[in-house]
Amino acid sequence: MNSIFERHPEQDLLRYLDGELSARQSRRLAGHLEDCGRCRAELEEFQATLADCASFRKTVVAQTPEAPAPWRDLYRDFSRIDESLANNSLLVRLMRPLVHSGVPRWAFLAGLTVLIVLFSLNQLRQAPSVQAATLLKKAVAVSQSQPHPARRIRVRSSRHPEFTRMSGVQAALVQVAQAEAVATLFQKANWDWNDPLSASAFEQWRDRQAQKTDEVMAVNDPAEPSEHLTQIRTTSAGGEVESASITLNTDDYDAVSERLVFRDQEWVELSDIAGTSTESAGGAGVPTVEPPVRAAEPPSRPAAFAPGSSASISDEIQVLSALNGIGADLGDPVDVSLAGGKVKVTGPAEIPAQRQEEIRASVASLPHVEVAFTSLPPSPTPTVVSAPNGSAAGAVNSPMQARLEKQLGGHAGFDRFSTQLLDLDDAAMQRVYALHRLAQKFSPEDEASLGSKDRAVLDELSRKHIAVLAEKLDSMEKILAPALSALGGTAASVPPAAHANWQPAADDVFRSASRMDMLLSRMLGMTPGNASPSELMTALGELDSDLADCRRALK
Amino acid sequence: MAIFRQPQSGLELQDQVAQLYTETREDVYRYLLTLGVHPPKAQEAVQEVFLRLYTSLKKGEKIESLRGWVFRVAHNYGLKVRARQSSEEKFDPAYETRLMSPSANAERELLDREKMSRLNNAVEGLSEQQKRVLFLRMEGLRYPEIASTLGISASAVGEFLRRALLRLKKVRDE
Repeated sequence: MNSIFERHPEQDLLRYLDGELSARQSRRLAGHLEDCGRCRAELEEFQATLADCASFRKTVVAQTPEAPAPWRDLYRDFSRIDESLANNSLLVRLMRPLVHSGVPRWAFLAGLTVLIVLFSLNQLRQAPSVQAATLLKKAVAVSQSQPHPARRIRVRSSRHPEFTRMSGVQAALVQVAQAEAVATLFQKANWDWNDPLSASAFEQWRDRQAQKTDEVMAVNDPAEPSEHLTQIRTTSAGGEVESASITLNTDDYDAVSERLVFRDQEWVELSDIAGTSTESAGGAGVPTVEPPVRAAEPPSRPAAFAPGSSASISDEIQVLSALNGIGADLGDPVDVSLAGGKVKVTGPAEIPAQRQEEIRASVASLPHVEVAFTSLPPSPTPTVVSAPNGSAAGAVNSPMQARLEKQLGGHAGFDRFSTQLLDLDDAAMQRVYALHRLAQKFSPEDEASLGSKDRAVLDELSRKHIAVLAEKLDSMEKILAPALSALGGTAASVPPAAHANWQPAADDVFRSASRMDMLLSRMLGMTPGNASPSELMTALGELDSDLADCRRALK
Repeated sequence: MAIFRQPQSGLELQDQVAQLYTETREDVYRYLLTLGVHPPKAQEAVQEVFLRLYTSLKKGEKIESLRGWVFRVAHNYGLKVRARQSSEEKFDPAYETRLMSPSANAERELLDREKMSRLNNAVEGLSEQQKRVLFLRMEGLRYPEIASTLGISASAVGEFLRRALLRLKKVRDE
């Protein structure tokens, strides 16, 4: 903070207004404002804009279409929640009238005992089995009433390595050894292996059990605390499966996970890793153990799953590729590193639970991965570069901006122009950072040590970033070139670079892109400072040339 | 914002959530519309969010800012709902046409209306993330609450908001 206060604290004015600075920072800024007319003026501008926003919000509120139905009275739902939540608090509630009605203490205790006995009998015998049957029936009905897309499930078991597979499709898909062993277990137990993680498979099995006990309980998923889950656990006296539990999403009756314990104490867990299969399958070709067709030879990757072995760069690439499949290598503050024999995927706990779950699921099937979201102080976001001293009058009147506005026919034209450019620039810079990270992570030597398959995945990731970057850059040039040339800008010729490896070429891309980003931001008046049309055109040309070089070096 | 203490009686808790529901439901509903959720689904989602809030509090969860919690859960829930309705059109509240139509607010002065319409265009021109940050700020959320709703850092919220306001400021200068 110190250095910024020696200049004009533009970055902090809004935070100050919004009361988001610490008391100390606030005092310092207030002190600066007393002396600095320029910052006072800017503060007033922010205040006025916020006031505009407030009246805009009022208009929007008045114009928002009313909710289509009358708002529900939630009290009835509250009572329903109370009942389902607290089976034990039911007892307390039953007791309450007794306590208040002045019944003698012995009668109260006797009554309590009777209640406890009745209640437990009820709990143990009838209610749960009725509840379980009803729940399952509902869940089956719901799943039959909707199209049931194929989904990917993760299979973990006590004796076989973990794998993932598609379920719900008619397929003799999985012929991998570990899948075969688990499939045999399920078939012996007469459990539908085609769609094993489903209410109907569970119901079919449960219906066949002559002697069984059920438990029904509300459970919590720590990763998604707001989700309501219900678990049914059925124990059977006979048959291959000793006990089985299914966890259903209480809101849509979707089967989330299952756990089967066999007579010989082997267990198998199935869980839904929905939401990650569609994108990644079409994308970078995330490696999984499940071959798309029957493998002619035994699978070539079992070594990667041998217990005890530790993570390699190859594992790291697979993780990066999986994250790329869900776009987590672009906006999310997620970091991937290779340490202690593990591929560590880390990020702040502030990432929404749902996104955390998506990230976990995307790498769940990969070996040696550790995912952790921790509450660390957030790393400061890169802020725009400030001019060393107030050379331009804040972010408002860069001389270039004035000329551009004239060129583009006024404020409205300029606004459209800058909006389009900044959005393209944001998208382009995301790719630049992602490409740069890859280049830093995998040196040419690292890359040389990779197998051909891993190299292909890395290659594809880099190519994808370059392709999108080139496309955004192209669009930016189409918008910029006419305006800049009209202002007399010319691009200086750039000596072509020629790197043997793509990594140093990607470093150059990073450097020239950062420069372009800064000049653009100055030209549009987002950052104080000057940028001439020729400078920006030259920077664009440089970036173009560096990008072409990087593409070439990728071979 | 004081840490919310769970009231002694269950009824008190019901009243507290019901009151928050009455005060906040329209705001959350409107926010879900801006995410592109269709009105009936948005209304359903709002009701669901408050039931989840009640459930969480009932289970003894400590929630620091109820309003922040409600928006965060609504945001995640809304994105899920929107993903499911992806085959349909994204809902567009179309404020612009409403703002432009003179009958919609005949009493409003012409100048004012023009300014709002310009502001609306400028807001439309913001990036998706800038828009969300701005809307949540206008709903009275603090930066850390907005940050946890959107899964970004509080300093990023400040920067998004600053950029958004710099763009909107230009409208005033016109």
